[in-house]
Amino acid sequence: MKQMPQVCREIQEDLVAAAVQEAGGRARERVQDHVARCAPCRGEFDRYRALDETVGTLKREPAPAVETAARAELQLRLADLRSRLLTYRVFDSPLGRILIGRTEQGVSLVRYLGRGGVPRLPGLEAVADGAEIERLYRQLLDYLQGRRTRLEWPLDLRLARSDFHRMVLEVTARIPYGAVTSYANVARELGRPAAVRAVAQALRANPVPIVIPCHRVVGADGDLTGYAGKRIGLKQRLLAVEGVQTVRKPADFRVRREAMYIRDRNEVEYCLPTCGALARRSLSELTLFASRECAESCGLHPCTTCRPDLHPLPR
Amino acid sequence: MSDDRFDGLVAAHHGEIYRYLLRVTGRVSDADDLSQETFLRAFKALGSLPPEANARAWLFAIATNLGRNHFRSETRRRRAYAGVGAEDRGGGNPGPEEETLFHEARDRVEAAVALLPLKQRMAFTLRKLHDLDYDAIGRMLQCSAESARAHVFQAFRKIRQTLNHLEMPSTEARR
Repeated sequence: MKQMPQVCREIQEDLVAAAVQEAGGRARERVQDHVARCAPCRGEFDRYRALDETVGTLKREPAPAVETAARAELQLRLADLRSRLLTYRVFDSPLGRILIGRTEQGVSLVRYLGRGGVPRLPGLEAVADGAEIERLYRQLLDYLQGRRTRLEWPLDLRLARSDFHRMVLEVTARIPYGAVTSYANVARELGRPAAVRAVAQALRANPVPIVIPCHRVVGADGDLTGYAGKRIGLKQRLLAVEGVQTVRKPADFRVRREAMYIRDRNEVEYCLPTCGALARRSLSELTLFASRECAESCGLHPCTTCRPDLHPLPR
Repeated sequence: MSDDRFDGLVAAHHGEIYRYLLRVTGRVSDADDLSQETFLRAFKALGSLPPEANARAWLFAIATNLGRNHFRSETRRRRAYAGVGAEDRGGGNPGPEEETLFHEARDRVEAAVALLPLKQRMAFTLRKLHDLDYDAIGRMLQCSAESARAHVFQAFRKIRQTLNHLEMPSTEARR
């Protein structure tokens, strides 16, 4: 190949740029001047120009037919991902760092994180996200500060470990604000009075504490017994928010049942804690209420013997 | 996460992301996989994309990243080069007789693009076929805007050389 004159070599870069419409005004002028005088470079310019035009036709080509099939496949995979996606955020709360996560269907995870990270969630794809969970978090804060008594969130209980666990959670979800009952009573409510330990296990694995108020379920003797691992103090604080008083014990708390109204599961009335033999019975068939309003909001009437309506407990 | 916003992104950009990845990988099956992966990743990360960000450039960046990772495996690279031109690219709608020459030219350019080294092929495709600016391309290829521009020009020169080898006789005949 013949050696190119230096002037041509020097202008090569601008020549290509000008031919493919990527050159600035000054470079373009210089190239135009040069190719007007230099035939080989003019040929070169024309070839790059033609190449650029061909490239332009590639750009205008419609997407190939296979793209439609790929897009349809993508839509299927997106639908699958959407159904498995858990979006979550971690917040600071009066109870420590807390994770709130939801799927398409509803809130499926509330987790006290302590120093831990995001837990592994079989079958779910966890993605940190924000805006909507922020709203849930504000409601939760209102709840923890006593400004709200219900969290009416759509729930997705897919993280419950079995249908039995799910049933336990559904029964527990019906325990009203300000009320306390026992694992044994939940078991009776399920029609499985012997399954007290299984109920306790199910509540221990509650994927959405606070929202499903497992903190309202205590031992038959009134001891709080357990919560979120060893976080018994959180249980006591959640109950305190609802007006449920407790007394401290060496390694636990006990519900002050003498400060609460009481109901036998077979009755439609609520009583003073001193009514008849109630004071001596375990909580295995009883529910306690922090206030008359709380009991009456469940459709209960004041007992006609002890008359809690006439002799309310001191607040 | 706004599903509507995402569905809008798929509708607006799936076609071009797919074409880009088809040129980058040279294989329909790889373009299928990588384009799906691009959008699945985007879906998961959409919450962290500021509302005012350029979603199109962001999608191209994800696709570019996946394309680079794809070719990191040497075996894949060899397989891809061995397969250039062998596979149906799926766009096969033959034009009328009088357009045959024109189509030949286009196919030859396409083949020459497929022979470019990966970075040049990406830079060239992003710039000339998808009109992205050099700043964005530089960020995607982890180089400066100047280097991105240099990649595009090297690509042009290489394509030109390849075409010389491929079509010298017919080009001369047409002139």
